[in-house]
This record gives sequence, C-alpha cells and structure tokens, in this order.
Amino acid sequence: MRVNSFIERSVVSAFSFFRESVLCENYASKRGLLQILSPPIKTLFVFFLLLAVFFSKSIIFILAVYSLCILLSYLSSIELRFFLKRTLVFVPIFYLVIALPSLFNVFTPGEPIIIFKIFNLTLNITHQGLFSFSILFLRVLTSVSLCVLLITTTFKYELLKVLPIFGVPHIFVLIVGMSYRYIYFFVEMFQNTYLAIKSRVGFIPSIKKGQFLVGANIANFWHRSYNLYNDVYNAMLARGYYREVKLPRSAKPHFVDWAFLVIGIFILGLSLWQG
Amino acid sequence: MARLIFELKGVYFSYHGKIPALCDINLNIEEGSKIVIMGANGTGKTTLLMLLDALIFPQKGYIRALDREFRENLLNDWEFVRFFRSKVGLLFQNPDVQLFSPTVKDELIFSLLNLGFTQKEIEKRLSKIVQLFRIKELLDRAPYQLSVGEKKKVAIASVLIMEPEVLLLDEPTAGLDPQTTRDIIDIILKENSLGKTIITATHHLEIIEELADKVYVLGKENKIVRSDYPKEVLYDEEFLLKYNLAHIHYHHHKDLVHTHLPLHND
Repeated sequence: MRVNSFIERSVVSAFSFFRESVLCENYASKRGLLQILSPPIKTLFVFFLLLAVFFSKSIIFILAVYSLCILLSYLSSIELRFFLKRTLVFVPIFYLVIALPSLFNVFTPGEPIIIFKIFNLTLNITHQGLFSFSILFLRVLTSVSLCVLLITTTFKYELLKVLPIFGVPHIFVLIVGMSYRYIYFFVEMFQNTYLAIKSRVGFIPSIKKGQFLVGANIANFWHRSYNLYNDVYNAMLARGYYREVKLPRSAKPHFVDWAFLVIGIFILGLSLWQG
Repeated sequence: MARLIFELKGVYFSYHGKIPALCDINLNIEEGSKIVIMGANGTGKTTLLMLLDALIFPQKGYIRALDREFRENLLNDWEFVRFFRSKVGLLFQNPDVQLFSPTVKDELIFSLLNLGFTQKEIEKRLSKIVQLFRIKELLDRAPYQLSVGEKKKVAIASVLIMEPEVLLLDEPTAGLDPQTTRDIIDIILKENSLGKTIITATHHLEIIEELADKVYVLGKENKIVRSDYPKEVLYDEEFLLKYNLAHIHYHHHKDLVHTHLPLHND
C-alpha cells in the first residue's frame, strides 16, 4: 500500500502543480493593466524596478515600490489573497535562513536596542542589524512580488519570446516552449497509464512489485518520448524548418507600453540618485 | 495526360536496415488526382507518406517529385527546401506530434515564418485560414487546451495555410466524431476541387469512396497488392477480408439477424 500511495501522491501532486499553472494562466487571460502591456516592455519594466530595489538603501523607497506592486496587482484583477499567498510563501524561508542572523551584533555590530543572554552568550539586536534585516526582508518581498506580477499576468509562451531580447538563442526558446507543451502531454499519458494499472490490479501489494511497475514505466516513457522527439522533428522539417528556427514576434508596443517603460526608468533613476 | 506529381520506381525502405516497411513500390500520381493508400496496420502507409514528403529516402529504387529526383543532399539546398515544403504538405496521424508550438496562432504561422514569407503575407493567410476553419476563438489557446477534433482541425489548417499543391494526409479522420469527420472530408474535397492533389492513407472504408479516384492497397508483405477504382475494391468482400481491411459483423433488422461487411449494397 505504501508504494501505491507514493505513486498516487506523485500523480496527484503533478496534476495539482499543473492545475495551479493553468490557474495562473487564467490571470494572464484576464483584462487588467499589466495584461495589456507588451510582454517585452513589461519584462523591462519589472527588470528596472528590480534593479531599483536592489540599489536602494531606503526603507521608504522600497516600501513605496512594494505598495506599487499591491496597486498593480489590484489593477490587474489579481485577487489580493492569491497575490499575498504567492509572495509571502518565500519570505519565512528567507527570513529564517538568511535575514534573521543579520539582526544580531555577531553579524552586524552596532548600537544595541535589545540585549539578552543565551547559554552565557550575550546577544544584542542592534540598530544597524534591525535596519539591515528590514532592508533585506523588504527587498526580497518586493522582488518576489515583482516577479510574481510578471509571471502571473503573462502567458508562459509570451515570457519565453522575451528571452531573445536578452541574447538567448531562438532554438533554446523553442526547445523550452516545446518541453513546457509536452510536459502536459506526458503528465496526461502518465495519469492514464496509472489509472490503467489501478483498474486492472487495484492496489499494488508489494514494494518490489511497485518498484518494478515504476521502473518499467520509466523505460516505457523514455522510449515514447524518444519516438515523439523523432516525430516532432519530422513535423518541423515538413513545415519548413531549416537549420535555424524563426519564431513569431511579440505585438508592437503601444503608448501605454512606452509610458510604463519611462516610469520604470524614472524609478530606477530615482533609486540611483538616492544613492 | 496530366502532369506527374510523383513517380516511384522499385522503391524499398526498411527500418534499422532489417525491418522492411516498403518493398518494390511502383506508383504514378497525377496532378489534381485523389489517391487513397489503403492497408491494415503495419503495412507501410505512413512510411510511404514520409517518403513522398522527403522526410526519409528510399534505400533502393527512386522517387521523382515535382519534376526532380529525390536525393538526400537536396535537403541541404535551401531553395529546394523552400520550394518543396511550400508545395507539399503532410498531415501527421497524431495531431499532438504536429502541434508543437505553444499556441494555435504560433502553430499556424510556423511554416510561413520558416519558409520566409513576409509579415503582410503571413497576416493575410492567417486571417483567411482562421475564417475558413472558424477557429478564431482558439488562436491564443495552447494545444493541451484543445479537444481531439479541434487539434485535428488546427493541424490541417497549419498545413493548408502553406497553400500546398499536394496534400499528404495520414488517417485524417481517425478518432473523430461523425460531424468533425464530415467537416474535414468537406475541406479536403474543396481543396481537391481547387486542383490540389490529395493523397490519403487510411483503413477507414467509409471515407474512401469520397476521397479516392484510385485506390492502392498495401498488403502484409509491404507491397502494393492492388491498384483499382474505389468501388471495385470496396465491394470485393473476399479481397477486403483477406487483407484485414474489413470484418463481418451482424446486427438486427427487427427480428432478423443480418450479417455483412461494413459496406454493402443490399
């Protein structure tokens, strides 16, 4: 039963992951402010804001950018609960592993605010430490929020098309796009195979038998994916692929795109000017 | 006599050099004709279409297509690739193989982009094909968001957008519901009425009469065992049974049990 539940858990997890991906694509298809932006311009806008947050040493400035994120998520028809859940989930990990030690005088010496003892060791939370901690915490929160905004309001394939702007070759973009497309195909096939096994044998009685079934299926899927690769390559050749692939361009930028680009450059400039 | 689009003489092809897929194939296909390649599973129908589309090459014999003999090194010549790929379109049996782009729109224009068409021409053809297939609402969808029938329609549209002179169709109606099957046959027939050559590989007897002026039957020996008019083949019960192309089934007419082949006159 253990192996069976392991397989079942894996299948269910894979499907819930893809359901979540599709859910994100639902936000991308909604009508909202960020959704109407051209993906390359939107990516540059987010990139400039990320740089601004990275260079800024002002808590108020970073808080202002974070507030802008919340406002943009509202104007892009993203539910606040969904947005906060997506962004805040990363913060505790960062908070515990990286940012928390920076509070103490061991890592950030300075003017003490709170003094306490653990096992004869005197620890101070310093003024400088609290500042570093807050800056780190807000930088991460704002950066994650910016990335979530970009990913949530843009179709994955549109994001991929932006990559050549940063010098990524077209063939790489095509391969990543295909991998994304065929993952769905294989997940569906895997689910059907699992259901077929389940319908015939009910549950898998032993770990050994379960391992055998999983192993046989991995080999089978490898073989099928290899055949699919050959067929897809032939399908590309049949439709004119010749050495270098050409991909469709994103839509031309409009006035609102240029306006966002200017705002992005202005915010970055402001951050650099503050020093 | 009409111009010969394909001429095959003594063509032989085997997989991995030991599993024969086609043996001694001799075939002449005229411009504007409708040809059906019939055969049970594993008789080499798909392989024959791949040979006709210059995706694989004969190991013996030769193929002439559009007045040129196929040789593997021809595919290093961009001018030939551009000429041939825009003249001959192949519909794969499995639409999931053919729909490799992230969206339907990208899929439709893949061939035009890669064959070097201008943006203006691409937009013109896209709008025309979208209207013909009534698939405007599908344009931004990913292939995994389409039904089987929609996938097949998009796959055919992605071939027809090239406006090829020759259409190679591998089981174009496999797995489709009756209405979608009808729609697809109508599209194919319309293309033929515009002068396009249609070569269909199938074992679905019910569509053959409409899609064929002439039928070539591949046997288990991977050879052409008969070339004939569709009616002659379809009503030859003994022949169909011998080559696994039909089965006898029975059903009720009120209280009478009636047995026959899938197609019958009585």
